[in-house]
Amino acid sequence: MKIRSFLLLAAIGVTLDLPFLIRASQNGQAPPQSTSGKDVPYHQSDMSKPEPTAPRHIQPVAAHPSRSNSPLVKIEILPASMSLVAPRYDQQLVVEGTFADGHQEDLTASATMASSSAQVASVDKSGTAHPQGDGQATITATVGGHRATASVAVKDFATPAPWSFRNDVLPVMTKVGCNSGPCHGAAAGKNGFKLTLRGYDPETDYFTLTHQALARRTDRMEPAKSLILLKPTLAIPHGGGHRFDVGSPEYQVMSGWIAEGMPPPLDSDARVTSIEVLPHEASLEPGAEQQLVVMARFSDDTARDVTRWAKFDSGDEGVATVDANGHVTMHSYGEAPVTVWYQSHVTFARLRIPFPNNLDQAVFKSAPRHNYIDDDILKHLAVLHIPPSHPASDSEFIRRAYLDAAGILPRRGEVESFLEDPSPDKRDLLIDAIMKRPEFVDYWAYKWSDLLLVTSNRLSNDQMWSYYDWIRASVAADKPWDQFVREILTATGNSDENGAANYWIVHRDPLDTSENVAQAFLGITITCAHCHNHPLAKWTQKDYYGMANLFARVRLKTFAPGGSRAGVGPLFNDVTVYSAPTGEFTDDRFMMVLPPKPLDATPLPLEATGDTRVYFAKWLTAGDNPFFARNIVNRVWRNFMGRGLVEPVDDLRDTNPSTNDELLSALTADFVAHHFDIDYLIRTIMQSATYQTSSEPLKENADDDKFGSHYVIKRLPAEVLLDAYSEVTQEPEKFDGYPVGMRALQLPDTAVKSYFLDAFGRPPRQQTRESERTSVPTITQALHIINGDTLNDKLRAPGGTIDMLLKLGFADDEIVNYLYLAALSRYPTDSEREALVKALDTAEPQQAPGVDDPRRAALVDMSWALLTSEEFMFNH
Amino acid sequence: MFRLDADKKVEFCDGVTRRDFLHAGALGFLGLTLPEFFALKAAGAVDTSKDVNCIQLMLVGGPSQLDTWDMKPDAPASIRGPYKPIKTNVSGVEISEIFPRMAKHADKFALLRSCYHTAAAVHDTGCQMMQTGRLFQGGLESPNYGSVLRFQKGPRGDVPPNVLIPYTIGQLGGNLPHGDTAGFLGKAYDPFVLNADPADPDFKVPDMLPPDYIAAVRVDRRRSWRAEIDKSVAYFEDSNQDAKLMDSTFDQAYTLMTSAKAREAFELTQEPEDVRKRYGMNRFGQGCLLARRLVERGVRFVTVNMFETVFNDITWDIHGSAPFSPISCYRDLVGPMFDNAYSSLLEDLTNQGLLENTLVLATGEFGRTPRINPAGGRDHWPQCWTVVLAGGGIKGGQVVGASDNIGAAPKDRPVMPAHVAATVYKCLGIPIDKELKTPQGRVVRLVDHGFDPIEELLV
Repeated sequence: MKIRSFLLLAAIGVTLDLPFLIRASQNGQAPPQSTSGKDVPYHQSDMSKPEPTAPRHIQPVAAHPSRSNSPLVKIEILPASMSLVAPRYDQQLVVEGTFADGHQEDLTASATMASSSAQVASVDKSGTAHPQGDGQATITATVGGHRATASVAVKDFATPAPWSFRNDVLPVMTKVGCNSGPCHGAAAGKNGFKLTLRGYDPETDYFTLTHQALARRTDRMEPAKSLILLKPTLAIPHGGGHRFDVGSPEYQVMSGWIAEGMPPPLDSDARVTSIEVLPHEASLEPGAEQQLVVMARFSDDTARDVTRWAKFDSGDEGVATVDANGHVTMHSYGEAPVTVWYQSHVTFARLRIPFPNNLDQAVFKSAPRHNYIDDDILKHLAVLHIPPSHPASDSEFIRRAYLDAAGILPRRGEVESFLEDPSPDKRDLLIDAIMKRPEFVDYWAYKWSDLLLVTSNRLSNDQMWSYYDWIRASVAADKPWDQFVREILTATGNSDENGAANYWIVHRDPLDTSENVAQAFLGITITCAHCHNHPLAKWTQKDYYGMANLFARVRLKTFAPGGSRAGVGPLFNDVTVYSAPTGEFTDDRFMMVLPPKPLDATPLPLEATGDTRVYFAKWLTAGDNPFFARNIVNRVWRNFMGRGLVEPVDDLRDTNPSTNDELLSALTADFVAHHFDIDYLIRTIMQSATYQTSSEPLKENADDDKFGSHYVIKRLPAEVLLDAYSEVTQEPEKFDGYPVGMRALQLPDTAVKSYFLDAFGRPPRQQTRESERTSVPTITQALHIINGDTLNDKLRAPGGTIDMLLKLGFADDEIVNYLYLAALSRYPTDSEREALVKALDTAEPQQAPGVDDPRRAALVDMSWALLTSEEFMFNH
Repeated sequence: MFRLDADKKVEFCDGVTRRDFLHAGALGFLGLTLPEFFALKAAGAVDTSKDVNCIQLMLVGGPSQLDTWDMKPDAPASIRGPYKPIKTNVSGVEISEIFPRMAKHADKFALLRSCYHTAAAVHDTGCQMMQTGRLFQGGLESPNYGSVLRFQKGPRGDVPPNVLIPYTIGQLGGNLPHGDTAGFLGKAYDPFVLNADPADPDFKVPDMLPPDYIAAVRVDRRRSWRAEIDKSVAYFEDSNQDAKLMDSTFDQAYTLMTSAKAREAFELTQEPEDVRKRYGMNRFGQGCLLARRLVERGVRFVTVNMFETVFNDITWDIHGSAPFSPISCYRDLVGPMFDNAYSSLLEDLTNQGLLENTLVLATGEFGRTPRINPAGGRDHWPQCWTVVLAGGGIKGGQVVGASDNIGAAPKDRPVMPAHVAATVYKCLGIPIDKELKTPQGRVVRLVDHGFDPIEELLV
């Protein structure tokens, strides 16, 4: 904070930069600018990036000189073998070179390529192989004395299969965007033309194209007069603009299919069984370009190049961007997963630019390793050339561990004895000690209460307590996670006696329940499938409504009115939750009853009687459920590391890759092997050297916030911050209806009135969503801390920490020591102590207006400065 | 007792005195020194008329179209309701007798009588759509107009760019968000929420000034000691966005506290008593007055929520039975409250030449049932209602669109909330096809494809 420059800026009133005003008036659109001399990210640069409107022809890969002097070691052709079925399908080839320093390059443009038989296949300068006739051939690539070959088999050249609606036409329409969400794939279609989103229902789309609108969309007598060719080529006006050219490959597929009599989709059509992207993984250089090749394998054992029809997306556009043709450009250091979709299949290429750090492998070999987490993290860091930060000091560790695991600061005495303790295993012992504390139970009970929506907005007071007590007792007993969830999901009985049953009072509607269950226990968002098949994951509408039908038999019975709450309606005490033997949910989409089905699992027969939730719970908590354990492991990881291995934590899906697959899989397997033991998981994470690295980045790892090279600082959660203020000032908070001394993290409810907690981002517990809680700093928070009554009242209340220190007769330097230990869990450095003592010396004689005891006022102000400092407000 | 706002000379640690500081802020709301301002103006770079502000009046509860701005005097009594139409200063345009003052300003506003939506008929959905242009589906929470404006143009001077008066909307029954945040753009663009009642005799922005017992000299030393302590963790701000943002929020808070312009913007007591009375000495009236003061001083977007709930309060939500409101409240309370505040706002903005640059959007979240219900009230009716627009590029003195003969459905020029959003953004000078990106990387158009500005409304 630079007071001098701040005042100067404010004084002359420069708060807008001039180029901004000029630009703004020129185009009516304003770029970002700074405020009060501080850069605030008003705008991210990628916001205005347009999505490609139509695929361009695949460009030949530009030649780019290698930036390193490392010699070429070998080259290979991707794919190494291929069978081309018909003259209609070409094959993109990529010549990939590997250099001595381990990096790869796309050398296709500089390679000399030749085919052993021009009658079978030719290969052009862009590296595309064209079938010419049945037979076998070998394609050879040569670069700088290195040579590689690929084999080609061509068959059925003279008798090509007709264009397939399912496998040729729909992929074209999907690729050019006809059936995308903003266009004809919208729930209401566009201009009377409605396609299923991304072509999930070929039969319906076929009917729409060939029969609706007086069959004008497709004209088999004169294909060129079909609306689906006239519109996207802009021969006649089209609201969606130009999508492809006459004569383009897209046009050839569409017109060819129409001319061939528009064969419909058949059940016997070959289906895509898998897709593969080449290269699957590569370490590239900044500025490098890399063509990806996407191969689809079909159920009839054929495989072909679908690069042109696949959709690409970069997981980190700062690292790599990819165009509509799978042509990647690498930008800055890091790793980007490039997602590839074709039909409903998804895969990734992991492309990275290792950081430009000249690191000795000894950096990774000598880095501390406490368990397998460190092996997986260091392995990945080594590939990325990112060194880990040095280990955190004991002071940093004790503060961090208490805050992350139990939401409290260590007491001054605890800090002192930990710092003095010479035993080598003192950190492991400390972790065990923290986990035995009641505050540890409070913290995790609060966390699961967020997830399970414990709130008096939807429950009577008795029910809320019953629900909360059950959760807290489960945490205290370290109840295995699968058992915990099973007990919730199959809960029956009186809401005051079985706390878990209240889950069913909070979640009453089958659709709402189904969505929240998926979010909380699987970490997946299925809401999209309410209106259409999920565009980013495999979930279909049938999965969605089938899942909801699992919750259709839950019944609530009550006789005891518990009052009414504004905006909520009547509340009841003594609700009995039970499952009716039969009963089903009719959705408003299919207007029929779908068999109860846990997402993509085997459905229960409709006629099955009994509690359908039992079947669901069994499926959900099975050790091999790919999402159940991953979800909770990822959430617990985020609690400590500030970021999920998959982020956001409630959006696990194939198209949202983790930053370290090996680690997430290993943690998940270990957790399942240890019987879903949450405490074991917490201990494993906390014991790792990864968790125990310093938060201070090295020059070489400063840009990393997700690969685990250093601890990422995080602002204390609202409740933890408030409790910490109460603790350091020795002035407890008083919440309406709760006894004095009850900490914020002990509250069973987030509806308890507190300006402070709301301002600092306490979640309302309305929806199961991690983002309900926020730790983003706001002006409201700053104003409240500076001028508000929460912290100021605690600081000035008589009998608190400062009064105690004064009573003990502490000198200023002792007081500074004390406050540092209590607030920051460390001793001040000599220069810090000297600077602050000197500041106190100057301030203490000053008679500020309204102050009776100037020394006390100065000490209060010093405490304020410590308690609002970033070092205090952030766990680090 | 010494306060920061007292006009006394105070030495700051760098020698700048409080008085110097206060006086240096002329034209501070434009953020430019005088010579710079004129130089730019001469060069044609500053065209304040293009920099349009917006005041959005959220008429929470949902005004009945038939009892306000779309009367059906020829319909049966069970439909036309208890009120009579009156003439306005524009011939051919009539509105309800509950708005006698507003009738004198019909040349300034336009009535859009054919707005409808097709989502669930609960308050929350309409609030979402009328503040963002879009229903929240699939976990996508769209930003409100003010947050988009802030995102696009940033702050102007010392005042926050986007302010919400007086409180955020609370429970409306649907347990859904209300579209008054920055949504997927991120909390950094959320409006600054007043969190106080401007009609309160002791009204002040919470925490805007230090409590009496903390003198300026203490505020100052606290601030410098905090900076001193944070020196040891300088790497926080270098390596972490949240830390950087926290530093910036503290700077902005101190700016608000110490900027005469910014503090003064929130000081309603500086308005003459007769002006305050003209707006109505109630929460909404004073909220509208405060909105005017803020816009005058550089705030780009102000939302005024007329009510925060529809339960146990007298609002536009006239179901006719408790805990909701009776239809008579339009004549007795709610109507006059709106009439006085709205008319005064248009009068003042016109007199100050600000109406041209300030869009005033007044809308509920839906209309009400044409047929009076057995309780003598009207229930929710999203199929048709009236939106009132004025200033900021809107052509006043006209009616756009029409409903059928009982006000049940649009008969002419049906429009949806997204059309209104497109019109608002057009007035604000933000292209409606602008693409925003969610944190998950999903690209979202500012206004959905196919929804264009309502050209008839525009000058």
